[in-house]
Amino acid sequence: MTGIKPKTICITGGKGGTGKTLCAVNIAVMFKNEGYNVLLIDGDVENPNTYLLLNGELENKREVPFFMPKIDEDKCSRCGICAQNCTNHAFLYIDDSIPILMSSLCSGCKLCYKICPEKAIEADFKTLGWIYSTEIHGLTLFVGELKPAEARSAGIVEALLENLKNIIKNKPNKFDVIILDTAPGAHCDVELLIEMADVSIPITEPTRFGKLDLKRIMELINLLEKDCKVIVNRSSLLGFRDQFLDELQKESIEILGDIPMDADIVDSYCQGTPIMDNNSGYDINGAGFIAFTNIFENLKKWINLNE
Amino acid sequence: MERKIIGVVSGKGGVGKTSITASLASLAKKDSMMKVIVLDCDVDAPNLAIILPPDEKSKIDKKDTFTTLKSEFLEDLCNNCRQCVDDHFCEFNALHWDSQNSIPKIDFLKCEGCGACKVLCPMHAFKIVAVKSGEIISYRSKMGFPLIYGKTQLGSTTSGKLVSESKEHVKNLKEYNESNLIFIDGPPGIGCPVIATLSNLDYVITICEPTPSALHDLLRVIEVIHQFNIPFGILINKSDLQSPFQKPFSKYISDTNYEILGKIPFDLSIPKAMSFAKPVVQYAPDSEASLAIKEIYTNLKRRLWDQNKV
Repeated sequence: MTGIKPKTICITGGKGGTGKTLCAVNIAVMFKNEGYNVLLIDGDVENPNTYLLLNGELENKREVPFFMPKIDEDKCSRCGICAQNCTNHAFLYIDDSIPILMSSLCSGCKLCYKICPEKAIEADFKTLGWIYSTEIHGLTLFVGELKPAEARSAGIVEALLENLKNIIKNKPNKFDVIILDTAPGAHCDVELLIEMADVSIPITEPTRFGKLDLKRIMELINLLEKDCKVIVNRSSLLGFRDQFLDELQKESIEILGDIPMDADIVDSYCQGTPIMDNNSGYDINGAGFIAFTNIFENLKKWINLNE
Repeated sequence: MERKIIGVVSGKGGVGKTSITASLASLAKKDSMMKVIVLDCDVDAPNLAIILPPDEKSKIDKKDTFTTLKSEFLEDLCNNCRQCVDDHFCEFNALHWDSQNSIPKIDFLKCEGCGACKVLCPMHAFKIVAVKSGEIISYRSKMGFPLIYGKTQLGSTTSGKLVSESKEHVKNLKEYNESNLIFIDGPPGIGCPVIATLSNLDYVITICEPTPSALHDLLRVIEVIHQFNIPFGILINKSDLQSPFQKPFSKYISDTNYEILGKIPFDLSIPKAMSFAKPVVQYAPDSEASLAIKEIYTNLKRRLWDQNKV
């Protein structure tokens, strides 16, 4: 499969708890089962869960630094130019005294560092979070993790994507398939990942919340001009499966497949053994197993890996 | 009774924040001692309005918010010096050179509105403008109490600020002064909008379920709550889930000595109630889930106002 750009698939969904990570992990595993080289990227940096579903450890920890101004008090002339020009009001300045940094408001734009007439502002760094890379179940896994109480989650997603871009540039044949798992919501973290992918798969559930959030995420996917097909998880939840799928189809929403409620899936989720892994030992005639197999066949047809 | 502001968060999404908030609010409405206001701060995916729709007679107020700042290029002032791009004025990579027109182009999504380009440009050929970041909607719900929710504009970058603005908006309501219980349905995650939700709360309800992911995410959100030094209690949803993780989960939770506000067993009446867009305590008041939520409501009230008596 050399010379073909890896296919990048983004698993997203709008609503939380619909099964994004479950689908991302199992789709990655099914590609691996067929001999493809798979990179799974956990971009839900506020709450990365992929490694729990794979029962793995996070390895190769790398810090994601973030710019913080530090004032050299000996050099500072107390002119207040840094404070006057900071859009986020991250400096508290009282006439003729040294400005006080309120780091939670700092956007990291470095303007103060660039304009200080005395060069009294040094580039210091704080830890925004970490990125990890690990080999697990025959997959390569990158995980981003936001440090709790830090707000700028997009900085971690950008660090993950920077890593990915370097790999695509330097080792374009290393991976055949790249799976991106996003956070819930439709904010910038999610947007960055959808933008990076060839196609997106929103995961939804047959409830009114599921449908409302699906529409919102599809609006974002359309805005970014990407193809998408939907997976309906827990489709048997309330006995409205057919009705729900019909409704989606009437609104011209394409469906990749649906996954019924299934005890094996819950068990595999809690054990950290992906149900679709070759050696997982789950019943291949179980409803969840069959559903994933069908989804995978549809997915391969859709994205046409060899193109 | 002194006013208390309660946030509902979980870290992990889809564990029941919205369903439970709606039920607790509905119980508070029936409680003659309580004057309740409800706020949905999951500004990326606000869903509470589905269960708490407006009363037919209620006016629906919509207010656009302009909490997002963006840079705008002023072509007339540009002398095409290229410094903005070549000298990397923008730390967020939002400036690119449009060689066709010999001017800089601003990537709207990447721009943080920090103003560095405006200040650093020798011609000051940029200006910072406030753009629509979302809207805040408020009305009187069918149940009689006010509901407020924020909703982000897609592609806007500042959901935290919209959360803060929605929380401020509560103070404009005529019902605010006499209110004594405000429920805030929070977003999933632990990032910017969650941090904005947690500020100035009196108590936090953290919802969890007995799975490894939900526990992991709960512990991360608790780390953030600790930073704010707010008391919190754990509510275990789907508490009897058939899961090989039940035992390690119970052991972990009891070892931590965290306050447990209550447990809600897995009960299909919750998703059923949702499909009829009703709080479960209204749709199936005698169901196992409803009985559990009523007990949690009683515990919560005791926790908030009777602390000295316990």
